[in-house]
Amino acid sequence: MTIIMEVLVYLATGSLYWWWTQNLTFFGLAPNLLFAAALCAAILAGPVKGIAWGFFLGLYADMLGSSLFGGYALTYSLLAYAVYVMKRHFDMASPFSQLVAALALSWVCMFFYQGLSLAFARINPLGLKIFLAEPFLNALAVPVVFQVFYLLKRRSGVI
Amino acid sequence: MSREKDAANYAIVFFIAVSVLLLIFPASKLANTARIAASYSLYPSMHYGAKYGYFIRNVPANFVALLETDQENRALKDKLRGLEVKLQNASPLVSENERLTREMRLSRGLPWAGSWARIVNKTPADWYGSFFIDKGAEAGISVNDTVLGMEEGRAGLAGRVFEVYPKFSKVLLLTNSAASAVCSIAPAGLEALVEGKGTWLLRMNYVPEESALAEGVELVTSPGGLLFPPGIAVGKVAKVYPRESFMNFITADVTPAVNVNTLKEVFVVKRNIQTDLTGQAERK
Repeated sequence: MTIIMEVLVYLATGSLYWWWTQNLTFFGLAPNLLFAAALCAAILAGPVKGIAWGFFLGLYADMLGSSLFGGYALTYSLLAYAVYVMKRHFDMASPFSQLVAALALSWVCMFFYQGLSLAFARINPLGLKIFLAEPFLNALAVPVVFQVFYLLKRRSGVI
Repeated sequence: MSREKDAANYAIVFFIAVSVLLLIFPASKLANTARIAASYSLYPSMHYGAKYGYFIRNVPANFVALLETDQENRALKDKLRGLEVKLQNASPLVSENERLTREMRLSRGLPWAGSWARIVNKTPADWYGSFFIDKGAEAGISVNDTVLGMEEGRAGLAGRVFEVYPKFSKVLLLTNSAASAVCSIAPAGLEALVEGKGTWLLRMNYVPEESALAEGVELVTSPGGLLFPPGIAVGKVAKVYPRESFMNFITADVTPAVNVNTLKEVFVVKRNIQTDLTGQAERK
């Protein structure tokens, strides 16, 4: 039952991100909900489940894109692992630490994904506007997504 | 803790391996299968998201449209209120226009030369005594000019000009207790004096007792009167009083031909009465 709920939450997260980018972009910008979900799942879940959430959310992001299938899957898997390591040393449950982590890890993920793109596809997918603005939107979105995931975890045991 | 760390390490190695394989061999069967599997698994969520997102997608636009509609509605309500006020103002104007048209048509049929004037002031304390009109000496109005009112398509005697100023004049109404007119009683043509009482009725005096005066008889100005041209309707006999034993004439109440309460405009007949007849010569 829990696994079905997890799949539903996963699909709902992906659909929400897709819908948001379709309809609610502001000057072409929107928070990366898949990144935020991967980060929050990594904070809330155990290491294996957190990394799995990161991988599959990355796969969703890859499916939405047209290049480098597997790039985001690798990036978010590593993100989840990094969070797993970090949360042993920092209190990741507080909104401020989530905000700082989201800001820092957004840029790390962007650089990493850009490195992957340059290495595997010889393309540079990173726009300056996205690079400058999206981490801040992610930082704002992460505490909200964390609260939603936290409620889901408490009530239905998913994540 | 160590077991958890091992699990985490195994998991990350596994997922990194899968990801790297997908990255390294994008055209391989494995990558294609994974891509197609992911696509077929995930696209339904987007499909239904798009299907039902339609209702949500239009929410901002609908909300804006709702606000615009509300603003437009308020503006239209204001406009409607303004139009209602204009309509209310227009209704008296239309009736005034109709009345003036009717009176103008009547005035063309009058045998006297004169001009129309609007009543500009009535004093409640002297309601049946006098009023002011908006024409004066500059418009050729002079003292003792006859003032007519229009009632039910007929011209009736309202009074005479009493005081003249450059831009307006004061009219002494026939209902004023100081006003009087010599009248002719139809059809015999007997003459009598109609006087104002300061009320809405007139009093007719000096009617010969042998006259067959009856209620409803019409009175017109007499050719024998000096101030008013002959033939102007003055009123109708409302009530005839029996002769008193010590008097040799009878009296009657007369309803004026012109109702002062409904009068808005008057027609001032230029009389050109000789100054020696009006007494001005003596004053000079």
